[in-house]
Amino acid sequence: MNNIIRTEHAAKTYTIGEITTTALKDVSLEIPQGSFTCIVGPSGHGKSTLMHLIGGLDRPSDGKVYIGDMEISRIANSDLARLRAKRVGFVFQFFNLLQGLTAIENVEIAMMLAGVPDREQRVRAEELLALVGLTEKAGSKPSQLSGGQQQRVAIARALANDPDILLMDEPTGNLDSVAEAEVLDLLQTLHRQGKTVVIVTHSDEVAKRAERIIRVKDGLVDQ
Amino acid sequence: MTPSKLVFRNITRRRGRFVFTLLGITIGIASFVTFMAMGGNLKREIHRETAALGASLMVLPKGSCGYEQLSILTGDQMPTNITVDEVKKIRDIKGLTAVPYLSQQTAINNRPVSVTGIEPQATFAFKRWQMAQGSYFSSEESKDAVIGVVAAKQFDLKPGSTITVRGEKLTVQGILAETGGRDDAGIFLALPLAQRLFKAHEQVSYVAVRVDNLAQTEAYIEKIREAVSLGVVSDKQMLKSVMGIVGSVNITLQLIAAVAVLASAFGIVNTMMAATYERKREIGILQALGARRRMIFALFMMESGIYGVIGGVSGVVAGLLAAAVATPYITQNAFTTMVKGSGSGTLIDLKVIIYSILFSTVVAILAGIYPAWRAARLTPVEAISYE
Ligand SMILES: Nc1ncnc2c1ncn2[C@@H]1O[C@H](COP(=O)(O)OP(=O)(O)O)[C@@H](O)[C@H]1O
Ligand SMILES: [Mg+2]
Repeated sequence: MNNIIRTEHAAKTYTIGEITTTALKDVSLEIPQGSFTCIVGPSGHGKSTLMHLIGGLDRPSDGKVYIGDMEISRIANSDLARLRAKRVGFVFQFFNLLQGLTAIENVEIAMMLAGVPDREQRVRAEELLALVGLTEKAGSKPSQLSGGQQQRVAIARALANDPDILLMDEPTGNLDSVAEAEVLDLLQTLHRQGKTVVIVTHSDEVAKRAERIIRVKDGLVDQ
Repeated sequence: MTPSKLVFRNITRRRGRFVFTLLGITIGIASFVTFMAMGGNLKREIHRETAALGASLMVLPKGSCGYEQLSILTGDQMPTNITVDEVKKIRDIKGLTAVPYLSQQTAINNRPVSVTGIEPQATFAFKRWQMAQGSYFSSEESKDAVIGVVAAKQFDLKPGSTITVRGEKLTVQGILAETGGRDDAGIFLALPLAQRLFKAHEQVSYVAVRVDNLAQTEAYIEKIREAVSLGVVSDKQMLKSVMGIVGSVNITLQLIAAVAVLASAFGIVNTMMAATYERKREIGILQALGARRRMIFALFMMESGIYGVIGGVSGVVAGLLAAAVATPYITQNAFTTMVKGSGSGTLIDLKVIIYSILFSTVVAILAGIYPAWRAARLTPVEAISYE
């Protein structure tokens, strides 16, 4: 199988003033295209850092990160931004949405940033909200939505530019079990449609559905 | 969704902060515009009044400076240091026409109004006056008053009405036709009556002189100085020194306005800094969605720029309103009399409007640079880090 994501000896250290924190020590991993992968491990051991690296949100201090054949750890900032706009969809644990915008506008903004003209955004955004079952909530502000609904809007937005890869950092960490199940069903549907789904999670419910599990501990992985 | 729509959504998220920041820049620009408008009117009026004097030379007490000259134009109260004897000496010089004035003030219904003692026939000819209503002074010793058309409207006076000047009831004999100048707002009395009422026996404030041969103006300055020990200025010198005073007052006022605009710029900096802190995480989200630094920078610059454009427009509107509404109520003094007396109302250049809006926009954009740079400098991970 084709590996869409690959890291080679990726390491990440953060330096704040005098203090250096090593978040990732030496991570080499491969994630096949179209897989449903979970990243699990204790808090503070580098899961989020790993997700940021493979999504092009940050660069490794050492080692290499590939998406497909492209070594994204070497490309220019603007190319990295374009990659995030078109090939990757991010969902974070909370506060994913822009508070000043409605649900549908939150979806549209992802298209705006990918260069889709204003008039073409609305129809696609409506389709995506329908997909996540939130047609009725299109005009609601994030503050008027439940946690589960907000995450579904965030997923709709992550799908806006039809990316190959969905990267989620504890997307159900804030949800009750009913909402979590809804979100997971949605993710499974997307996976079946061919998306590569990578989820950082603490939840056994989530991990149970994964095809592959990557365990992160102390900045290292054992696959 | 477009970047400008996003900016409008963001800017109006905090209504109170939006309004107060806007108010700051509006007030700054409004004061700027008001002062510019008033200054512009003042200069126009000075040109007009100087022309309306119809004189090529002014004879004033020795040692007079620009402020006395300004008083001639505004109709302010002036000292009466020139004697009738001196007026006669000036008149003895051939080739000129000299007309003396006694410039005083009184109040009608608690509103100040200028009272000028004149030689009726000489002044009528000198100023080329015409009558609108009633009749002109019947003699050089008339005990009546003739008033300007604006004064008539202001105090609701008609020929036959009475006014009280220095405790003496006077009958309004006639109303002058509009001159377009300060005379419209004045009250005129025959010189002997004015001298008696204002206790200036045999004295006048200044003498306006018209030289028959304008090319000889400079020579006549010398001739008058030889004849009497008084100060003599040409209309051009007078215009120059009065404009100098008005110009320096104008610059001072504009500096004050500039400080107000500067203060409001810091209001914008403050608001935009607060916005970048508050929206730190949203900046990270935008970056995760593929926004480049350039885009983040542009979004924040547009936001502060909007303060400049809206604040500029509302400031111009408020400033023009203030200039139009407030000017007539400003207490009478040397600088405001003329603006007030101006029949044409507040005139303002399109240039001033455009400059003000541009000024405000440029200030707001400059104010936005630092906060926008701070926002754009955030790395996605810094911005996204939950806290
Ligand atoms: N932006 C950052 N600056 C400094 N240290 C960081 C930053 N992000 C994460 N870290 C540190 O790196 C380590 C791994 O963090 P993280 O990847 O968020 O772990 P996890 O997601 O597994 O909880 C932690 O010790 C954390 O404090
Ligand atoms: Mg984490």
